[in-house]
Amino acid sequence: MSAVMSVGSRNRRYRGWVLPIVGIAVWWLASNQGWSQSGLFVSPEKVAATAWDQIASGKFWRAISASLARNLSGFSIGTTLGLVMGCLLGLSRYFERLVGPSFNTFKQISLFAWIPLISVWFGLGDLAKVVFLSLAALVPVVVNTCDGLRNVPPNLLEVARVYRFTRWQTIIGVMLPAALPSIFTGIYLALVYSWLATIGAEYLLVSGEGIGNTLIDGSEHFMMDLVLFGMVVIGLVGWALNALARTVERRMQRLYGIAPR
Amino acid sequence: MARAQTVRLEQYTAPVLPSDNVKRLPPSPARSARKVEVPRTSAWRFNLGDKALPWLLPLTLLGLWYLGVERGWLSEQVLPPPAYIYETLSNLVTSGDLWLNASASLQRVIVGFTLGAFIGMALGLAMGLSRTVEDYLLPTFNALVQIPVLGWLPFALLLFGIGETLKYVLIAKAAMVPIALCTLQAFHQAPKGLLEVGRAYGFSRRQSVISIVLPAAIPTLFTGLRLGFTKAWLSLVVVELVASSEGLGYLIVYGRQLFQLDLVMAAVVVVGALGLLIDRGFDYLERRLNRGRPTAGARLS
Amino acid sequence: MELKFHKGSIAVALAAILAIPLAHADVLRVGVATAGGGDPVTFSGSSLGIVRNQQLLEKAFAGTGTEVQWFFFKGAGPAINEALSNQQLDFAYQGDLPAVVGRSNGLDTKLLAAVGVRSNLYLAVPKGSPLKSVEDLKGKKVAIFRGTNGHLVAINLLAEHGLTERDIKVINLDTGSTQAALVSNGVDAAFGGRELFKLRDQGLIDIIYDNPDQDVRYTRQTALVVRGAYEKEHPDNVQKVVDTLVDAAKWTSEDSHRDAVFAEWAKSNEPAESLRADFKGVSIRDRASPLVDNFLLGRYQAVADQAREEKLIRRPVSIDGWFETSYLQSALKTKGLENYWTPYGPDGKQPAVNAVAAVTSKQGS
Repeated sequence: MSAVMSVGSRNRRYRGWVLPIVGIAVWWLASNQGWSQSGLFVSPEKVAATAWDQIASGKFWRAISASLARNLSGFSIGTTLGLVMGCLLGLSRYFERLVGPSFNTFKQISLFAWIPLISVWFGLGDLAKVVFLSLAALVPVVVNTCDGLRNVPPNLLEVARVYRFTRWQTIIGVMLPAALPSIFTGIYLALVYSWLATIGAEYLLVSGEGIGNTLIDGSEHFMMDLVLFGMVVIGLVGWALNALARTVERRMQRLYGIAPR
Repeated sequence: MARAQTVRLEQYTAPVLPSDNVKRLPPSPARSARKVEVPRTSAWRFNLGDKALPWLLPLTLLGLWYLGVERGWLSEQVLPPPAYIYETLSNLVTSGDLWLNASASLQRVIVGFTLGAFIGMALGLAMGLSRTVEDYLLPTFNALVQIPVLGWLPFALLLFGIGETLKYVLIAKAAMVPIALCTLQAFHQAPKGLLEVGRAYGFSRRQSVISIVLPAAIPTLFTGLRLGFTKAWLSLVVVELVASSEGLGYLIVYGRQLFQLDLVMAAVVVVGALGLLIDRGFDYLERRLNRGRPTAGARLS
Repeated sequence: MELKFHKGSIAVALAAILAIPLAHADVLRVGVATAGGGDPVTFSGSSLGIVRNQQLLEKAFAGTGTEVQWFFFKGAGPAINEALSNQQLDFAYQGDLPAVVGRSNGLDTKLLAAVGVRSNLYLAVPKGSPLKSVEDLKGKKVAIFRGTNGHLVAINLLAEHGLTERDIKVINLDTGSTQAALVSNGVDAAFGGRELFKLRDQGLIDIIYDNPDQDVRYTRQTALVVRGAYEKEHPDNVQKVVDTLVDAAKWTSEDSHRDAVFAEWAKSNEPAESLRADFKGVSIRDRASPLVDNFLLGRYQAVADQAREEKLIRRPVSIDGWFETSYLQSALKTKGLENYWTPYGPDGKQPAVNAVAAVTSKQGS
């Protein structure tokens, strides 16, 4: 099987492009030939034109920077708090018994159900959105950090005991590095969830600028081209954040000599 | 070395070890032994304390909440008294509104989830079985996955209007993604050792899939289903928050529009409780499925 | 070296943090219960829109160090309640029902003057729909913007035709989403305001009810709301705001300004034809009257009572002590406009017998 892979691998990479290109071609054909009379059916050229207009007029940059700024602040606050809480939960048995079950129940509640409460407690401005984003980022970080710290392979802990490590040395030298892959999964998930929550917050706590607001504007004024543009941008940013997280993860793994999962 | 000789058992004597030229480790530096704490309490007291501890935090919070409302630390719009919420909940139950809305939500999520599970498993199966299909489909799939459900909402709103179709489509999309990806991963994680054995026995492709890949894939598939359901439940709340005429999210919106925070909190409590119940159900199912299996991670190699 | 850098940046951060409250020391925040439109964003239908367009508030407060900030809320009245409860607004343009809901939940507010009365509510259906009258709505999907002043009017209208909210499938949609839903056939019918005329003129929807008899039970009112605490702390600012509002109301009410008024309102991206259709056969003077007369009081109490009946609020609301008309009285007196607007009786049609007495007797209620 490996022989086949190396011969055709370059061709294989191009196969992924076939479907999108065919899709766009069919779409362009459909709009050209007027297969659908619905006012909602826009041609690819119109979407591209709208995209160009948005980028050139600066509206796009304002929107995307507002969204990303919120995303970043919420993500960093949520991740920091999440790391602290996850470490506490993972390392202290008392803390885990005290807070663990409540936290488990709390994380079951759908994230978006908190929005009406957050909007009453924190208003409709950026503060509420950042609170919501921090919440979204906090949960996966806590869960994964706690999991990672609890699932340290017992043989490593035995070696630490043999070498008579103090508790602090065990934590810093053995448990944290062993939990690092899990922690990274948590941070990676937090990145994904906080971007999702950014869009959600702009949708449900409507005020200010953002790429989600662009989407809603398009939806309300029946500008399907704006909607599609917004969707593409959101997808691209999500993909970029994903790729960023993966690169950082791989870099750290090489640094610390951890085998990739 | 001399050829091995058989020695009768009675004649065998263990060789005597010289005890003077054995190298010994130098004495380790004196370090006070760490005290290992042994719980001094009796068994049942320990159990009681252990069981009671999880309740400490919620009860303290509840107490603080009650005090806060009594003493007026927080205005009533910001945090209604707990008694109010309890009253609202019981009103909902007795008036039948809760059942009406909860069943509407549950029905939507079950239909959407089943739809998404089917599509997801079919996609995962197709991509797992055939490398070519995976090459064609996976990049596009990954790209479309990047757009969250909320990103699809305006597009789907314009296409499907505000009806049950919209909700089924969005919930199915949310559920389909983790299920398809997990199915694909299950195929990739098929134990290679077992596959080799199958090849040695001359299994056809179909036989190897059915007897080797699928049974080994069940834990991953189940994880995918569980994750898919969590995502489906999440999208349900979101979609109902935006456009619906009944359901738990509808109750939340109703409470929000009429500034009845207790209704909002009651609905949030119900959403959380239902989500918890379903999660526990999945947990139980997973444990039953994994009952006779070797623990995850045990491989032949 | 490292330590110095550390200390320096901490000092800068602290200074920045301390400077923030100073920068926002004197701000006057006005919230408007509609998304509005245009660039800069403004809104139509009331004299407050004129205030916004002609920057009258900014001019009135120029040189006093008070900055005027305008906030527009897509979530309309309910969102204003949320902002008021967070003390993020000082003044608000808010409808009758959401103000009542806020008051019933303990929000401390005062009503200063009427800003837009006798607004109509319209019932629209997608083009080509078989629904022709309110009775046909039974069992259909209808979009209502819950919690706004149109909500109660919709309930009244349904009750008049023998239906309740439970007889129809209500979907809560805001103004923009309502229009989108109507055009894409997402709902069978929708209640809304004059924004629907634009769609009707484009041939996308039909309007099957438009309050032809001008029955006041099917109209909604909007008032200028002020946060109770702010009113106690800055009565002079409140007086200035009311003065500005009365000036704008007079300008709006002049018959000769009718076209100019529509032109101003059209700056919010609302076509002038929609505005004319909404104000068809009604004198702008009546609609823009800021008077807190028997009509307004009667409507607000009726809304409060009915909201309690419909279980939209849980605690009964009385309008006693809610209207703070001293600012309005003094503004009318200083400008000599006591007899400019007609105070109406509770049914909205009969002018009260003794105009001056009617206005001044509103003090205590």
